[in-house]
Amino acid sequence: MTTTEQILTLAGALGVSGGEDGAVEAAQQMLAPLGACERAPLGSLLCRIKPVPASGEHVMLTAHIDSVGMIVTYIDDGGFLRVSNVGGIDRALLLAAQVVVHTAKGELPGVVCTVPPHLNSDDTHLPKIEDISIDVGLSAEEARERIAPGDRVTFCCEARELMNGRISTRAADDRAGCAAVILAAEKLAGRELSCGLSVALTTLEEVGGQGAATAANILSPTHAVAVDVSFGHTPDCPRAKCGEMGGGPMVGVAPVIDNGMSSRLREVAVRENIPFQVEVMGGSTGTDVDGIAVSGAGVRCALVSIPQRYMHTPVEVVHVSDVEAAAELIAAYVADAFGGVR
Amino acid sequence: MLYENLAKLSALPGVSGCEEPVRYEILKMIEGHCIYKVDALGNILAFKKGKQAPAHPLLFSAHMDEVGLIITWVEESGLLKFTTVGGIDRRVLPGKSVRIGETFGVIGSKAVHMKSADERDKAPEPDALFIDIGAKDRDDAFTRVALGDRAVFTSQYTAFGDGFLRGRALDDRVGCALLVELIGSELAYDTHFAFTVQEETGTTGARTAAYQTGAEIAVAVETTTACDIPGTPPEKVVCSLKKGPVLSFMDKGTVYDMDLYRRALAAAKAGGIACQPKEGVYGGNEARSVQVAGRGARVLAVSVPCRYLHTPSCVVNRFDVDETLRLLSALAADFGG
Repeated sequence: MTTTEQILTLAGALGVSGGEDGAVEAAQQMLAPLGACERAPLGSLLCRIKPVPASGEHVMLTAHIDSVGMIVTYIDDGGFLRVSNVGGIDRALLLAAQVVVHTAKGELPGVVCTVPPHLNSDDTHLPKIEDISIDVGLSAEEARERIAPGDRVTFCCEARELMNGRISTRAADDRAGCAAVILAAEKLAGRELSCGLSVALTTLEEVGGQGAATAANILSPTHAVAVDVSFGHTPDCPRAKCGEMGGGPMVGVAPVIDNGMSSRLREVAVRENIPFQVEVMGGSTGTDVDGIAVSGAGVRCALVSIPQRYMHTPVEVVHVSDVEAAAELIAAYVADAFGGVR
Repeated sequence: MLYENLAKLSALPGVSGCEEPVRYEILKMIEGHCIYKVDALGNILAFKKGKQAPAHPLLFSAHMDEVGLIITWVEESGLLKFTTVGGIDRRVLPGKSVRIGETFGVIGSKAVHMKSADERDKAPEPDALFIDIGAKDRDDAFTRVALGDRAVFTSQYTAFGDGFLRGRALDDRVGCALLVELIGSELAYDTHFAFTVQEETGTTGARTAAYQTGAEIAVAVETTTACDIPGTPPEKVVCSLKKGPVLSFMDKGTVYDMDLYRRALAAAKAGGIACQPKEGVYGGNEARSVQVAGRGARVLAVSVPCRYLHTPSCVVNRFDVDETLRLLSALAADFGG
């Protein structure tokens, strides 16, 4: 399976926060050959690749497996649905979007209603998410029979390869990170390491990071390397807050990030000739790292980010080479810091 | 065949001024059922013999073109700037994927995380948006696209719910597919058919098409805006799905012929065909151009009610499409006499 196929397989599976089973299943197929897999009580996928040695050193590679989406809250007497956002949804994406309602009995296509221009003199104002309706073409009776409040809704998405090894798909945040973690784990599985090695693909990141905090409590690693996406530069964004697409993974620097790990990642990247960029954040990171770092008695954390354009949309774009370089960097770092016999 | 044809036509790109793919497919569909020509602007003018000549030359028209996007500039970064062709609500653009010929791209804007509270409340200016095809820079982009290329949304044509169809460009490929059906049927009177270009940018094609046919009675076969969605006061709904074809007495472009309007209502009643008046003076269509072509024609608009018009996700119902075909067949017989 190529990296592109791997990312698109993971991203194509359903995993809106709190309903990650589809994506976990896809990831588990990829991780199972590397070690014993289990589901944490909150649904995170844990894979123990190398047992923890007497020294206690234990590296956890992690990325979140959930993605943003919507959730059905109400079915009205005309059979139209009301929804709430799960995670941060840009209201600019909603109107006239093609969506899929994921019910217990299968998928139903739908459209986000939009009031036509003749009734809408103001084409600048975006409705709040609780004010939109979803048209599933069913009477109230049929809709209530087939759809239940709590069902997840996603945007339709035709994943595509763009030019120059860039791909566009929903949920590249953070299935691209999951792919990088799995790739790194594959590279490390056959190597001699002085540390334990586990993978945690965590749930609920987009709604607060509950999956990662508890996964870290279960695995109690001493070190964690988290892979998430960060902003890929476009001309409408401040350059200082963005990475360059195709410029390699972004190594995080922030108060909550362990300075030693961050420095060593950069040193290894230079030595191994792996392209990288630096991402500086002033406090917390807005990723699973914030929760993992303070789990148990504390965990040293590093953050490796994949530059991504159009975050939290159905057309998120990542550069496959950045995902591969992230995996390469993480594997090289772990081999460097924890290589050798036990 | 009607729905197979509609699925085929809805999948083809045909933004105003670039209707070739649609025209080519329609020509294949009508080949052998009529005589036809393609005129200077790209309209298809078809003529089908009936059992007799009509009292007044009779024309049915539908437009082949659709609203879309046109590439206006390529930035140094390789991102494409665009403007809309026809009336597209700026609120439906962000986050959509598009096709420019064989090249795929996405309409991006800055991530929601970077937007201020005010920016989150407002639809971005179309000028602030761009299409990202993954190009490294300007020259790289030009290996795949040229200025003036058209882009269409890559939405999926899907049946859903209770007889509903969702897809791009149902406005007015539904009308085109209905005309193809009429051409394939036995007609009481000799009838002209026009598949027109550039309706969405000024109802241009219909003007020259109607001029050439010399029609005295003309029916525009269209889709029209239905607002039968939650939160709409009844007097603003305009028309509803699953209530049959929509007959217009007046819109923003045309005051329709009262006699034709009444005869159409009577024909529907006589044939047990569902139909509804367009309850509001909104929108417009190529009847405005047909009406004033040459010596002038008496016009009527028969429309399939359509939700979310001019978006990537037009929605029609098969019941309305079927009833519209029945009504058009009845009118082809009635208006010839």
